[in-house]
Amino acid sequence: MKKSASSKAEFFVKDRELVLPGQALAKGSLKPDKGVYVDEEGVVRSYMVGLVEISNERVGVIPLRGGYVPKAGDLVIARIEKMSQRIIFADINSYCKAIMIVPRPEPRRGGRRHSLLAKYEALAPGDVVLAKIMSYDGVSNPLLSIKGEGLGKLVGGSLIMIEPSKVPRALGKRQSMLQVLKQKAKCDIIIAQNGIVWINSNDPKVIGAIEKALRKIERESHLSGLTERIGQLLDSLLGRKS
Amino acid sequence: MGLEEKISSTLLKEHLLKLAQAGKRKDGRKFDEMRPIEVKEGTFTKGLGEAWVSLGKTQVLTSLKFDVGEPYPDTPDKGVLISNVELLPLASPSFEPGPPDENAIEMARVVDRAFRGSDAIDLSKLVVEEGKLVYILFLDLYVLDYDGNLFDALTLSSLITFTRARIPLVKMGEDGSPKLVEGENFPLPLVDYPLSFSFVKIGEYLMLDPNLEEESVADAALTLAIDKDLNICSVQKRNGTFKLSEINKAVDIARAKYPEVIEQVKKVVDIA
Amino acid sequence: MNSIFTEEKPEILIQEDGTRIDGRKPDEMRPISIEVGVLRKANGSAYLEWGGNRVLAAVYGPREVHPRHLALPDRALIRCRYNMAPFSTEERKRPGPDRRSIELSKVIREALLPAVFVERFPNTSIDIFVEILRSDAGTRIAGITAASLALADAGIPLRGLVSGCTVGKVGDWLVLDVGHEEDMWGDADIPLAMIMETKEITLLQSDGTLTPEEFREALDLAIKGCTYVYELQKEALRRPYIAVEKEVKGEE
Repeated sequence: MKKSASSKAEFFVKDRELVLPGQALAKGSLKPDKGVYVDEEGVVRSYMVGLVEISNERVGVIPLRGGYVPKAGDLVIARIEKMSQRIIFADINSYCKAIMIVPRPEPRRGGRRHSLLAKYEALAPGDVVLAKIMSYDGVSNPLLSIKGEGLGKLVGGSLIMIEPSKVPRALGKRQSMLQVLKQKAKCDIIIAQNGIVWINSNDPKVIGAIEKALRKIERESHLSGLTERIGQLLDSLLGRKS
Repeated sequence: MGLEEKISSTLLKEHLLKLAQAGKRKDGRKFDEMRPIEVKEGTFTKGLGEAWVSLGKTQVLTSLKFDVGEPYPDTPDKGVLISNVELLPLASPSFEPGPPDENAIEMARVVDRAFRGSDAIDLSKLVVEEGKLVYILFLDLYVLDYDGNLFDALTLSSLITFTRARIPLVKMGEDGSPKLVEGENFPLPLVDYPLSFSFVKIGEYLMLDPNLEEESVADAALTLAIDKDLNICSVQKRNGTFKLSEINKAVDIARAKYPEVIEQVKKVVDIA
Repeated sequence: MNSIFTEEKPEILIQEDGTRIDGRKPDEMRPISIEVGVLRKANGSAYLEWGGNRVLAAVYGPREVHPRHLALPDRALIRCRYNMAPFSTEERKRPGPDRRSIELSKVIREALLPAVFVERFPNTSIDIFVEILRSDAGTRIAGITAASLALADAGIPLRGLVSGCTVGKVGDWLVLDVGHEEDMWGDADIPLAMIMETKEITLLQSDGTLTPEEFREALDLAIKGCTYVYELQKEALRRPYIAVEKEVKGEE
């Protein structure tokens, strides 16, 4: 048990240790972060399987399992389900559907407004889009938008699903892991926050290699040195020397 | 997981079609290649024979139970085989709890047909007293994890279950009620070893052993069962349409694949 | 036609020195082995062997509620289905829910619900499925133990894991982890489950006659059993991560 020098906090675990639901992590004057709860006796406990993060007087748990929880600002890949004149329902691989509101055509504007409207009008049920979550209050459906550079219908390529809890690892610090994947695959790859990955390739060798790399990231996300190992794996699968 | 289930995406369909045009499948298999088959070791049920089989990521568990009772009136000299499929809600987000729906019922009848069509089980050897008391066998087919092609997985699992099954010996007692003969049993009278081969059509391309993604975008589906003499012992076309040439091609592929798959089965169980 | 399946009561259920019919001592548990994440489609799953029991538990959720009108506006709806496979018993059991499995579904749901942070997911459902593939006494407890792990495997926020055990009374003895014959012909059967970290009991049932002292002693014994089961649950959750770590270290 480590006592923090400046305060009365007691830690029962080390930073980056694997912790389980209900496990006691710390006690004392601490700021509980995400992934933890405080019990009646003031003990901070994990509420899931994950890696504990201890910094200064904060303690939180990074989940190693779990589905996608929508958040405003997230980039998601969604599949269009139902469409009416003004509202589109989309599947975002979560416990709720997302909605998009088709903007009204305004005669005065034209130009950009017109091309934005065209983006929406090109959509049909079954289509897959790259979108942004504009807002989500935790109760009603998250609101999506495809306004913005690069957002809109995805054409061609292939989709791979990964565990949403592993997305941060698949992206890496400052997108370092994503860069490795893109460099080795030599094509565009988008990893959306909701656990869906789009690879702009039709070469099964490349897609197969990237899928293997993603599965390895999922399995080893709790270990360090992963970026290097992924680079080596892709080199061996795609027949290149690093 | 949402995206491959109920409604497939157009992106997925276009992708699989493009791959097919180049002679490829998303998981790298050839069009006539089956996924790896695995038979789990251990005892998982109280059946007379059982098998927990994986076909790729699809997992099924089949087990045989028995009772004794009156034969069907039109077959007083034959035992009875009843097959039941449970699409367990834990196997897929699209399976709901409740009595078997049309998919489960079709599956049970098609699997049963493979064995009936080939007369694989000699039901005449499952009689205690003709006209009065016969063995009633219950084949329960449990789907545990659905990643496509339940027909083939369940037929394979049933075959292994039948090869392993030992039936407790029952004799008619002096008081006219059935008596179990302690410690005595006999192997299920299995005389043929049918295997099922299911195909889907994506565009104009025929693919053997579809996984869930392939099933979700397929235009048509067909299941054939082949017996040990490479005869066709049952056929079931499901959704969509097939040209005659496509059906014949499927038959050729299934007959060519049978020896390969039965070799794998022989590694796990004793078959003549 | 059921005469071929009737079981006969054994002459001696427990010996004078407390040796039980399967050779165990009164406070000895049957072997348990657990594997987490055995199914791919389910959000979380666990497979458990406990004596002759074979149990598969799976969780889907949180997810949209169907039918919609069952959704709760301020929390997740927890649903549970306990089901015995037709091949899980000596005599084949007809598929489908019966009164016993309906009661057990409720009792298991109420054993797990207090552990789940349901307020985090309003308007959703968390569906728990417990399939008994092979039955050998103590299936509801085995189901809860496995389902608890399936919930953790699904990444659902939990106060803690729920662990369970049974205690029985056979003759003059209180026995831990009731076996099949003890269940059929013993004098009392007490399943208990609790969240070990918070010491909250979430399942308690009793069947048979016990004096207040026997009852208290039985509860103490059950809690000892739960403590042991809890250690096995934690090890099962950790195992895949440790295995991967060993593998990676081995490669380097």
